[in-house]
Amino acid sequence: MKTIKLKKESVQLVKDVLKDIKASPDLGIYKCVQCGMCTSVCPGARQTDYDPRDMIRRVLEDDETVIDNDNIWNCFSCYTCNSVCPCGNNASEINQILRQMSIDKGEGMKKIVSFTAYGDSFMELGVGSIPSNFFDVMVKDIGPGYMDLKINIEDIRTDLGLGSYILPEKAIDEVESILDNSGFKDRLKKIKRCK
Amino acid sequence: MKFIPDKDILLFKSCLVNVEYPGVESSTCYIFDRIDVDYYVDEKQSCCTGLGHYYDLFDQISTTALAARNFHLAAETGHKNIAVMCATCYAILKKSAKILNQNEEARNKVNQILDDSNLENREYTQGDMDPTLNIFHVAEIFFNKRDEISSLVKVDLSGLRVATHHACHYCKVHYNDTIEGVRDPNLIDKLAKAVGVETIGWYDHKSVTCGAGFRQRFTNKEASLAVTAEKLQALKDNKVDLLLHMCPNCQMQFDRYQPYIEEKLDTEFNIFHLNISQFIALALGADPYKILGIQTHTVPIEPLLKRLNYSLESNEKIDVEAKKSPN
Repeated sequence: MKTIKLKKESVQLVKDVLKDIKASPDLGIYKCVQCGMCTSVCPGARQTDYDPRDMIRRVLEDDETVIDNDNIWNCFSCYTCNSVCPCGNNASEINQILRQMSIDKGEGMKKIVSFTAYGDSFMELGVGSIPSNFFDVMVKDIGPGYMDLKINIEDIRTDLGLGSYILPEKAIDEVESILDNSGFKDRLKKIKRCK
Repeated sequence: MKFIPDKDILLFKSCLVNVEYPGVESSTCYIFDRIDVDYYVDEKQSCCTGLGHYYDLFDQISTTALAARNFHLAAETGHKNIAVMCATCYAILKKSAKILNQNEEARNKVNQILDDSNLENREYTQGDMDPTLNIFHVAEIFFNKRDEISSLVKVDLSGLRVATHHACHYCKVHYNDTIEGVRDPNLIDKLAKAVGVETIGWYDHKSVTCGAGFRQRFTNKEASLAVTAEKLQALKDNKVDLLLHMCPNCQMQFDRYQPYIEEKLDTEFNIFHLNISQFIALALGADPYKILGIQTHTVPIEPLLKRLNYSLESNEKIDVEAKKSPN
């Protein structure tokens, strides 16, 4: 039987994963028994070559190539793996950590550059919006009624007794300032450069 | 079971409820007003970062710093309890509260960001927000008051064949906080029961994701819609008329894309989609256009209302009992 041998010097990647801000204090990656429950319930695994069990194995074996492996971008972030894991591991959370590592290294930026307009809108309005490149496809797929909805949304909200969804100016300034000081603004600039 | 509050509630605005299904918000307010839930909507509250966060565009510290600002807004207006209409707001806010309470380094970093932004007075102190006892989905608030809801029902919806879709980011992320089932979720089934509707209960694919998968819908559309199509097929096999939702992103995936999938697969599902807030409001006699906001749906709700003997022209509900033939 093949077992995963954890050598002392071969646990750098798993240590980095556990140190990440996203990693829950009780994240049970060391308890993984490679049972495969995660992969068996995974919509990404059903539709693509993504395999959360294999991703966890590679992290435990300190295989850094997993970070830039294209398959990690096929996770649906549905956390079904998390909800069935008998060991308290969370493949979905680890996936998100690996994606951030890939972004930090540079390669992963190509995967998110298509969504940068969402960040711009967030800083302008305090709410994100779907980038126009994707929005155009949605109008085509859903139909012209979808465009009408977008044009009339403020009137519809008024009819429903709801106020404007755009934040007051002072609140937007606060949000923008937070995103400037958190490094998000710079991050967005860097991501845009890889276009 | 955990304590669920009915006062001091910040009704947390959701980006997708705002611009896709605003009727979810008006329906929630309609119900809250009738079951004496004390709530507040704050125009200063920012979006949770949801779509951008799970697209991996946002880093965790930025998302958490924005959450800290929103937590402070909730506390300073005396609405320490947060109720969300979107499952992703639920997951993100709980995650951020956990990080702020458990990770000192991250907390200090967030407070430094707030200081640098001249928001010193908004600093987060450990324990300010309890992820389990202060953050809820509105469906949980309804569940806690289901007897009151039952006593207010005006419209008989029991003739419909109803199934439920429990959002992944409610059930599966912080599963220790989930009520009424994780692998076999029944929260909205029980809410339907409270308004006199027995759902079909378990069905194949009941706990499967809607398929949106954040980036998947945009960059991997075929895989995303294949997941949605399988679930729609399972519902069709069960002869379901209406699917109930608790997350606007799931609702979009089904309502916006059902006609597209029908065309691609050359089939018909003919399934209506309503959020649980819209469904309860309907049972309580709310107006379909002025409260439920069915005019923003892609799959028209009018045929469903016709079956319920609603007179759409007059916008007035006709008493179901009175419409029944005397013989």
